[in-house]
Amino acid sequence: MTDISPHDTGSLPSPNGDGGSGATGEFVQQWRNAAYNCFSSGHKFCREVCPVMQVTRNESWTPTAFHANVVAMEQGELQLTDIADDYVNCTGCGACELRCPNTLFTGDFYRFRTRTVDLVKAMRALAVDQGIHQPGWQRWNLLTDERSHEPVLGEVPVSQDHVRDWSQGLDIPVGGESILFVDCEAAFYRTSVPRAVAQILRRAGYEFGLMNEQWCCGGPAAEMGYLEQSQRFARHNLDDWRAGGVKRVLVLDPHDYITFTEDYPKYFGEEYDIEIVLVVELFAEMIADGRLAPSVPIERTITYHDPCRLNKRKGIWQAPRQILSAIPGLTFHDVDRVTQWSYCSGGGGGLPIEKPELTARISESRVDKAAQLGVDTLVSACPWSERPLSEAGDAKAIDVVDIHELLAESLGIEVGGRRGQ
Amino acid sequence: MTIAPALTEPVLDDLRQVVGGEHVLTDRAARFNRARVPAPFPVHRWSERVPDLVVLPGSTEEVSEVVRIANAHRIPIVPRDGGTGLTDGAVPLRHGIVVDVKRMNDIKEIDEVNRTCTVGTGINMLKLNEVLGRYGLIYPDDPASYPCSLVGGRIGTSGWSLIGSRYGHSRDLVLSFDFVLPTGRVIHVGDGAGRKLSKSSSGYQLKHLFMGHQGTLGIATEATLKLYPKPEAELSPFFAFPDYDSAYRAVGELARAGIATFAGAVLFDEWKVDYLRRDDEAYIPQPADVRALVCAVAYGYEDEVVAGGRRLMRIARDNGGRYLGDEVSEGDWAARHDRYATPLHGRTLAGQVIPMSWHCEDAAINYTNLPQVRLEWHEIVRRLRERFDMFDDWGMFAYTSADTGVDYLTEIDVGIWEQRLDDESWAAWVQAKKDIAEVALRYGGSISACHGSCREGEVDLVPQELGGGYDVMLDVKRALDPNNIMNPGKYGLDRAYEPEAGGAR
Repeated sequence: MTDISPHDTGSLPSPNGDGGSGATGEFVQQWRNAAYNCFSSGHKFCREVCPVMQVTRNESWTPTAFHANVVAMEQGELQLTDIADDYVNCTGCGACELRCPNTLFTGDFYRFRTRTVDLVKAMRALAVDQGIHQPGWQRWNLLTDERSHEPVLGEVPVSQDHVRDWSQGLDIPVGGESILFVDCEAAFYRTSVPRAVAQILRRAGYEFGLMNEQWCCGGPAAEMGYLEQSQRFARHNLDDWRAGGVKRVLVLDPHDYITFTEDYPKYFGEEYDIEIVLVVELFAEMIADGRLAPSVPIERTITYHDPCRLNKRKGIWQAPRQILSAIPGLTFHDVDRVTQWSYCSGGGGGLPIEKPELTARISESRVDKAAQLGVDTLVSACPWSERPLSEAGDAKAIDVVDIHELLAESLGIEVGGRRGQ
Repeated sequence: MTIAPALTEPVLDDLRQVVGGEHVLTDRAARFNRARVPAPFPVHRWSERVPDLVVLPGSTEEVSEVVRIANAHRIPIVPRDGGTGLTDGAVPLRHGIVVDVKRMNDIKEIDEVNRTCTVGTGINMLKLNEVLGRYGLIYPDDPASYPCSLVGGRIGTSGWSLIGSRYGHSRDLVLSFDFVLPTGRVIHVGDGAGRKLSKSSSGYQLKHLFMGHQGTLGIATEATLKLYPKPEAELSPFFAFPDYDSAYRAVGELARAGIATFAGAVLFDEWKVDYLRRDDEAYIPQPADVRALVCAVAYGYEDEVVAGGRRLMRIARDNGGRYLGDEVSEGDWAARHDRYATPLHGRTLAGQVIPMSWHCEDAAINYTNLPQVRLEWHEIVRRLRERFDMFDDWGMFAYTSADTGVDYLTEIDVGIWEQRLDDESWAAWVQAKKDIAEVALRYGGSISACHGSCREGEVDLVPQELGGGYDVMLDVKRALDPNNIMNPGKYGLDRAYEPEAGGAR
């Protein structure tokens, strides 16, 4: 929310310029008050929690700069072409929003919250709208559009024919009131995750099916600025759900969870009445009420990686810890959720597509922190984090495991599938 | 805006050779984002302060080479660390090259036995303490900007710490550092031949000279710091008082008590309490007779903090203080870096909420002069506010600087509607700053305990404050920086290069 209410400052007059005309001018008008709230603070407390800033130390790529640029646009000092490339350097983790004094200390009173992630998305969308493309993102979204799934396997094509391959041998029906939505990374790359989730659901006696014709959720396209494509994919998915009488979508990927609970409601408004269930929360509940009883001891020394989109953006940090505490045999060196505001895998916001070297440095830094705890396993709850973390983990002999995989193992389930290529 | 004539392609090539092409930034956004510090400035004049380019060096050697090139071509250099200072030290006044040291943030050594660590000056104290905590140690330099300011900036500004009454301030905590002079020569500044002495009496004591110069004498690149055991206990009781005078008496007695774990005492005046009542959930419900506040802080082992804390509580209560309870006390102290300075606190005279920049005018004032200085400062801001409804009085704090209660960092927080500042209101603000500084000097204080004093307005009075010492400053500047390349335009030091400039008289 960028408006300040009930103490609305109103639309402040612009003393020196309007930031240009057309779409750019509208963008500046929309974001100027939020930008000034950051600019006027000038504290930069967000800086040292920003995963990109931590590894690059480049002040141009900070939440402060992302807001100040809007002020400079309004003043006529910077053009979109001067800054569009800088906005690549964000994983969308949301740490800066939490660490912002405006959010922390006046947010409740003024009903204001710093929204850097939305600002970055909006700036990327403006760039695409104005014909400024990042080559990696442009290609990625073109391929996604062609194949209706993200090209997560590189040269190996992904397609509609293979989107349910992960479930081979599990005999999961198609359709029903509750369906399991599997994101592109899990469906094609880390297939052990959806296999674990599906088999745990079955173990608990939870009825569910697969989607009739599942396309990419569209969230990544929105993050990279390809808004029209995102909305088109969202429309397809919603229509498919409605046609099949779906009432409830089970989600295993935090990125999908953001897309379905934040983007889709914006796209569809009242029309959107689908219940979204995050399976990590569902499983914690099932453990608490006895529907699931993990009993096979797992002798590992672990720490837990709070996925940014769960911990920082949705405030979900308890459920994963409840699950881990219920698994016998684990030695759990936990790091609190607030310390983890400054942790990130580097896997979000399209960063690994356009700047894989930055993602690698961010995940190395995350794995280093795990290594200092003397653990052998880093547990995550986000398939998109698990690829870069696994690559960094190999160098430190740290195994990266998904929480659903671990829970399935403790339930005595033979998961199957692949943990990557 | 064009690149300075001296910055021709061959010079850029030389710089790229030294720091690597990706660490020489010439794009507009990179330069605009290194023109600012949090101190308010008219937004329409932003471009006046934009550097020609930015370099991000990775080592002392690279900084030295960059400075050497700049000196050879007479190109201004502006060192930039956290860019969180309030006296414009990191703001380029003559364009040139910003040397941004943030990449130099390695921890080179932690010496648990001698209790020191050696770090690149681009490291932030909070991040450093995350690592030191694993060793049970702490580097207790705690400015308001603790979550984002950097060790190098603390050296360049000779920073003030909120818990300095217990642990000392930056000048006490930094043992020594590598320093690049304006010619590119690298010296090691500090006591003794090594890095880790806290006291010598051999030769001139240069450490203080090379701290607090606001980047006008060179660039600190690697520093050795003094470490303490991470305190086991923290106590930060807040007390309410019915009037300023009783709070003032209480803070004096608390500071003079000589309690070994005493880390500081803070006095909030009536204006500050009114300001807190605007939107602070801890103070909105407080009864109307809460008009001033005092906080006392203690750190140490639990047994000593408990014992010292009993004495602090007794002193405060004997002076009429009412303890505000654990929640307010712990919460307010924990929020000390963030709480008081967010833009939405701002109000016009009519009460409209406006995003205002926080600006803190500070001074060093003896205890006995605090009440008078306070009244005169509020009057200056009241007059300013009467003329221009883009300033707001956010009240005053006084913090102990030392463990004896001799002097206080005294600050008046002024909200400024930065985007509305025009030339006329800016001129009035500069005059107000000068008036504020003049009051501090009239009462035998210093223009600044904390930020430095090289900003427009206050800077004119520095020669008056330093007297003959200012002439020595000019001589030192000319001797060390023969071509005036190091952060030119600051502290009025240009006059060191005027033909009539003589030596110290």
